[in-house]
Amino acid sequence: EKADPQKTAFLLRKAWTLYSVTPLYRFRRARLRDYARLLGAFIAAEKQKGLAVEVGVELDIKVALSSLADLRGSELDQAALLVQLSSRSKASSRSSEDKLVWSGWFCSVFGDDLSENVPEQFTCLPLFLTHGAESYTSLVGSWFQKTFDCCFRRLAISPLNLSWMVAMWAGCKLDRAASAVELIFSVPRLSQPLDISYAIHPEDAKALWDTVQKTPGEITQEEVDVFMDCLYAHFHRHFKIHLSAAKLVKVSTAIASAHCDGIVKILHSQYLPGVLMLLTELAISQIQ
Amino acid sequence: MDETVAEYIRRTVLKIPRDEIKMMLQKWGFLSEAQLQTLNFHQIKDNISQEVVQLCEENSANIKQAAALDIIYNHIYQNKRMWSVYQMKKSGEELEYFDITDFKKKFKGRLRSTLKNVTITFKEYEDNAIWIRVAWGTPYKKPNQYKPSYVVYHSQTPYVFISASVLKSNLPLLCQALIVASNYHDIREMELRSHSLDSLKDIVFKRYSQNFQTYTPKLLQEENVEPENADIRIVQENRSEKERIHKLNQEAFGSGPQPKLEFAQYRLETMFKSDPKMDVLDKKEPFRCLVKFSSPHLLESLKSLAPAGMADAPLSPLLTCIPHKARNYFKIREKKGLHPENLVSS
Repeated sequence: EKADPQKTAFLLRKAWTLYSVTPLYRFRRARLRDYARLLGAFIAAEKQKGLAVEVGVELDIKVALSSLADLRGSELDQAALLVQLSSRSKASSRSSEDKLVWSGWFCSVFGDDLSENVPEQFTCLPLFLTHGAESYTSLVGSWFQKTFDCCFRRLAISPLNLSWMVAMWAGCKLDRAASAVELIFSVPRLSQPLDISYAIHPEDAKALWDTVQKTPGEITQEEVDVFMDCLYAHFHRHFKIHLSAAKLVKVSTAIASAHCDGIVKILHSQYLPGVLMLLTELAISQIQ
Repeated sequence: MDETVAEYIRRTVLKIPRDEIKMMLQKWGFLSEAQLQTLNFHQIKDNISQEVVQLCEENSANIKQAAALDIIYNHIYQNKRMWSVYQMKKSGEELEYFDITDFKKKFKGRLRSTLKNVTITFKEYEDNAIWIRVAWGTPYKKPNQYKPSYVVYHSQTPYVFISASVLKSNLPLLCQALIVASNYHDIREMELRSHSLDSLKDIVFKRYSQNFQTYTPKLLQEENVEPENADIRIVQENRSEKERIHKLNQEAFGSGPQPKLEFAQYRLETMFKSDPKMDVLDKKEPFRCLVKFSSPHLLESLKSLAPAGMADAPLSPLLTCIPHKARNYFKIREKKGLHPENLVSS
């Protein structure tokens, strides 16, 4: 389960946009170089057509595909697949001057629910995370859809799932300099929209969670509900506002942050597998 | 004309939206009407500003005149800046006659005696507001014109509105100069901040319609009667509840428009209290939280929460007290003693 921190360092402290991906048909691990070449050609061709690239940018896009063997839950999971787009200005030909412009990676962490029910020619990597311009995401997505007959969908995160995340992450062991446990709510349908940020000292949030969680290592929906109800009640005592009626839009802790539009930032390598496992589960429920 | 002055004027003009440039230059009054006629306002702003600089060159503009243009821009676009409110205190009760010349002289004198390199500009407006612009330098460097502080002082009041530059270290000096010049003996920062300078003035000068205490509930109820449909079987179930909420809202917020604030922040250091059945946290120490409310128009937004079913009526006094306590930053602690339920703000 332990991924080499050096190899996964690039994942941390970046905002990743989440998608669910249906299984890839006839994907061959051995052909990564070919795929990189084909994807590169596809992107160049689309650029020629004048589609989806920023105006005035004279860049060659180089594609690199690689496997991240360590990034998986168990042996039943496929190794993660990393796609990187780098630009090189036409003037120079030295690869040392390549600049990374977009990255995306497919992964599965304990995604057995999906993979055990799928025929052999399919590769299951249900979670797709991207960082970089939307135009590149679109190009990469189109190529994968055409080539492997799969389907991408933005992965929204419901308030229910956000509250799971904040409860879980608030309970994690802390360093000295942990940041606050913050919940951001939005009340859009008023005459003037209202945003509410509710940030709790990380030690106090953890202390609360520790009294709520009955079995270490296990979390139940009931425990998450009690945790959230406590926070709502404390808020109501002061402001007389029913926070439970507002929309939970974003949660943020020292471990990671997540936004309901399906954007996640992971801050601690130690908790990377746990976060990815949760996200894989969400992706799979969206697919099924 | 000094190159730095030229550049400063060029950049100031570039900030102005194209169709407002002519009006602002007219307000400035430094260029003659004849000179303004020669300007082509239909070209790109880059070119307009170059032409303005050339005209200023002809008139030999200096930094003081350039600073005057900057004040005019910031007076019109005052809501782009964040303003803090300060309150000055007098030792005695005497109402002294305010002499603007004396004020300016003392202000300049106090600043200059500590800091040689400052640019100080004044402008008076019809509403008795005195605008002061201060660009700060060091003993070795000329003033940085791009990060000035702005002060708005209404001489009939003890309130000063300050939009400080990033250089916070100059704030004490600025405050000192203000109390010396205005003959007060102390100044303190209030916990009140907003982009809307007018709303801050509304709050401290009490220019908004305030809550009516208890004398008008009957009037409000009459006002609220809707012409009933012919069919008496159609009844609004929550009618009395709606009216109750409306009445309480009016009492808390008043019936007029609210001053415009964008946020309120509460640092909570109160105890976590829970239903003993829940068997959760029972610490003897405060549950530390920081709550921040933001909205394009916060008070209107809060006022609409109870009618929308999102909050109880009456809304918490922590929220409704914002205008009359003239603050939007709070620290809330538990009150010890007889009434542990009560919350104390400091």
